Amino acid sequence: MTQPADRHAPHNYIGRRAMVVAAHPLAVQAGLEMLRQGGNAVDGAIAAAAALNSAEPFASGIGGGGFMVIHLAREKKTTVINFREKAPRLASPRMFKDKGEEEKEWRTSSGLGVAVPGALAGWDLALRKYGTRTLAQALAGAIAIAEGGFDLSPTFSTINKDEYERLLKNLPEGSAYLNGGLPYEPGDRFHNPDLAGTLRLIAARGIKEFYQGELAAKIVAAVREKGGIMTAEDLASYSAVELEPLRGTYKDMTILTAPPPASGGLHLIEFLNIIEGWPVRKWGRNSAAYVHHLSEALRLVFADRERYVGDPDFVSIPVDRLISKEHAAALAARIRADGPLDRYVAGEHGRGEKDAANTTHLCVLDEDGNIVALTQSINDFFGTGISPQGTGFLLNDHMDDFAADPESVNAPGPGHRPVSSMGPLIMFRDGRAFLALGSPGGIRIFSSLTQIILNVTEFGLGLDEAIEAPRFFSFSTGGRPGPIAVESRFPWDVLSALQAMGQEVEVREAYDKYFGGAQGIMILKDQKIIHGGADSRRDGVGAGY
Amino acid sequence: MKYKIAVAFVPLGVLFALGPIPANGQETVGVFEQPMLITSAGQNAEVQIAAVLAKRAGLNYTLSKQATAADLQNMKTLVLVLGTSLKGLGAAGLDLDKERERVMSLVTAAQKNQLPVVCLHLGGESRRGQQTDDLITETLPLAKMLIVVKSGNGDGFFTKICQSKGIPLIEVEKTADAQLPLQKAFK
Repeated sequence: MTQPADRHAPHNYIGRRAMVVAAHPLAVQAGLEMLRQGGNAVDGAIAAAAALNSAEPFASGIGGGGFMVIHLAREKKTTVINFREKAPRLASPRMFKDKGEEEKEWRTSSGLGVAVPGALAGWDLALRKYGTRTLAQALAGAIAIAEGGFDLSPTFSTINKDEYERLLKNLPEGSAYLNGGLPYEPGDRFHNPDLAGTLRLIAARGIKEFYQGELAAKIVAAVREKGGIMTAEDLASYSAVELEPLRGTYKDMTILTAPPPASGGLHLIEFLNIIEGWPVRKWGRNSAAYVHHLSEALRLVFADRERYVGDPDFVSIPVDRLISKEHAAALAARIRADGPLDRYVAGEHGRGEKDAANTTHLCVLDEDGNIVALTQSINDFFGTGISPQGTGFLLNDHMDDFAADPESVNAPGPGHRPVSSMGPLIMFRDGRAFLALGSPGGIRIFSSLTQIILNVTEFGLGLDEAIEAPRFFSFSTGGRPGPIAVESRFPWDVLSALQAMGQEVEVREAYDKYFGGAQGIMILKDQKIIHGGADSRRDGVGAGY
Repeated sequence: MKYKIAVAFVPLGVLFALGPIPANGQETVGVFEQPMLITSAGQNAEVQIAAVLAKRAGLNYTLSKQATAADLQNMKTLVLVLGTSLKGLGAAGLDLDKERERVMSLVTAAQKNQLPVVCLHLGGESRRGQQTDDLITETLPLAKMLIVVKSGNGDGFFTKICQSKGIPLIEVEKTADAQLPLQKAFK
């Protein structure tokens, strides 16, 4: 697993037959090992996903959920597994609003913030339907990592410090997630024997142990002790579901991605549709005109998101219209070349910006050309910080992904899945898969993925160069624009030009994990070579053979 | 557990284990009085760590993330935990300008009331950057002592300011190591 001396220097991992990219080297190793032992891409992806619970536990794990897009080469079939968490049955639209000034705390740091986890159900469904290995086999790597431990990266240490207050409040005494009651330093050794024990139990008894057994009882107890409403029935009735992928196009390329309640793919298609008619190459990558137009488009897309997107099992979403070229043309026609709009009206129920950069993404390509793009999360880093006694895993705060406004289409409700920003995707050209991609980054996900796609397809950048390139982001909420956030690598003349247009600019770090941590695989069939790209904003790496 | 003192007239690299250390004519042991007000300069997460270290050291402290001059009443020392966090600022509903204004008015009030300012930088290298450095450049020269986690001073940024102002600087390897010099600095 070679890596550049300068972690930010663009570096494509090279393979001829198979590739794994993920947010931690040990997860890549677990996925690659599975492939080398004859497992397929689904087996490799679940092995890597489980390994991330041990190696990058602050971002995802069995206490959370996600989405995966699976492409089966021989069958020429692409499908989606939705393992997004669900609200407990006692959830109600006003459950957070009624908390008044303490609403944010209840959403993110209490038992009320915990939605019913879906990760294990999703991994299990994918393996049973499309894998060749058992869940026990897929968990072996994760168990070894949790047991053997590893030296912590600066990324882990920084996030551990950032979330210290929440961890201090919620973690049981002696938890592995603090080092003698203080955050870990870079280079400290991290072990999680409790997690190893939990995963071993699940390997032996199956996911029933998690949803109906002793672990279920511990989860309910931990959630309720912290003011939550989850019941044993909520866990017992949870199931992951298989869905048809959402399909969009950008020029001669087809995009297959996760449909709602994942909104990342939906909005990526809508965003690319708007961009499709613009002379982006003429404007130049990250020029003032480019950043201005794309930011305006983002704000209009966010207005649609506020108005329309909820759990499709409970609300009707006009998906076909939102991803139509006609709708995109109408939105593009509203955008002014010389400055921002006064209002970005569509939504009436503001969501508010979420700052969490959370979540994780991995991609796996096997020797038969099968591909998995998998995004999973426990929402905020370290989730709620609640860890059921003696289990070593963290519970999500995905209830925070429900809207604050009880009238919103995305208000909490019994059994509802909160809208997710995740957008794992696979792109095809001439019927052949050529790019698998995804990212964490909360509401920045589809913006970041779109910029990477444009960097590759319009500006000719290599995959990792496209991932490492400076990013920007904007949004709207309640009809009002947010600032344009940019990485500090943007030239000052571009920022000055944006300000001269009336845009508010917010300068962030040079490589800021606020904008996500994307991972991708590009298949260059004509060169018979595979490129893996992994984001240095976090600890992304790749390996192939 | 070890820490290093560097002041204007003490050569860099001199290591001290424990005990009184002369620094610009003043001792860094038993110098400051309790109770202390702990706040951040930049809404960083390390302010919570500082409070835990103070608690473990048995010090009498009050933690207030958005302390104002009014919070200095009955306090004997102001402890500023240095480091800007955009996430923290966002959560507090502040921007850099407002935070700078809050911190500077707090430091000014402390000086007016003859309260010494003690600075801590506990975030290491990752809690550096232009936004952090700008605020430090304004606040640190007004401090009477600085404790810094070594990796945050890799470029000598803190050493340079402390040397020019004669501020005792204590480098520690790890965050937890800051507890002892903090404890010893107070009466």
